Amino acid sequence: MTSARSARNKRVARSKLARDKAATYSKVASLAEVTADSLEAVLDKIDSEVFSELRQIANHIETLRREIATLQPGKMHRVSIPAAGVELDAIVSATESASNTILECAEQIMATDARDAKRYKAFVEDRMLKVFEACSFQDLTGQRIARVVDTLKQIEARVARFAKAARAEGSSRPRPPARGATNSQEAIDRIIGAGMSRRPPR
Amino acid sequence: MPVDVAMPILVVDDYKTMIRIIRNLLKQLGFEHVDEAADGSEALKKMREKKYGLIISDWNMEPMTGYELLKEVRADTQLSKTPFIMVTAESKTENVVAAKKAGVNNYIVKPFNAQTLKSKIDAVFGE
Repeated sequence: MTSARSARNKRVARSKLARDKAATYSKVASLAEVTADSLEAVLDKIDSEVFSELRQIANHIETLRREIATLQPGKMHRVSIPAAGVELDAIVSATESASNTILECAEQIMATDARDAKRYKAFVEDRMLKVFEACSFQDLTGQRIARVVDTLKQIEARVARFAKAARAEGSSRPRPPARGATNSQEAIDRIIGAGMSRRPPR
Repeated sequence: MPVDVAMPILVVDDYKTMIRIIRNLLKQLGFEHVDEAADGSEALKKMREKKYGLIISDWNMEPMTGYELLKEVRADTQLSKTPFIMVTAESKTENVVAAKKAGVNNYIVKPFNAQTLKSKIDAVFGE
């Protein structure tokens, strides 16, 4: 008897539980539908903003890509910077050579016996001539420095343009550097000497 | 023809130091009458005011370069016979050839010494 009652109670309980579950699912589904409806406009707006941001990032990357190409980093690496290095090496060499010549002349004049005035004068004049010649390094180094400055300005201009594209600060104006193979005086004499008239053309 | 050390020489260079050096070298070689100009246009003006026996000019100057001066001189019937020596750091073949075509009498590359200057002046005057 007791056993039969217990079994009936269990069936009632299961039936009640099933009814409660059905009610919960229905409520959840309903709530989800309402939520989805209310979020649709928000999600649409977020989609549009994200798309716009991604478009801007893509455009910016494209601009940077173009500016990097304009920078010509390969040319800078292969030509401009090595050429500037060669000019600076030549400046150091010319300055050192001129300084040594001038110092040697000064030392020789200081060490020369001045008792024979005529001989001493001739010796000093000869050494002074060497000093004059040595001083011509100033003109050459000036021109070499101008070329290095040109190269630096060109690099500065390109980097400034890139920085501007990357929305950083900077601006400058580009100028082309001087380039070309050089000749010694002997080579120039050969070019000039070939069919060279000693008189000006008529 | 012997070089006339009394002839007036015009040295054209925008570097005061270089003018000073050339002037002193010329003095050592016996040339006392040396005038100077800072660029081609100033040189041209001086050449039209005074007759020079020799022009010694740099290439790179502003506003008028030595090369432009050379062409102006050769194109001017009053000045065209004036001997012209280019003294420059521009030692590229195209520069030398261009100067030669324009009528330069000799071409000295910097740096140079008194002996080189003397030998080129002698060559211009046929010694």
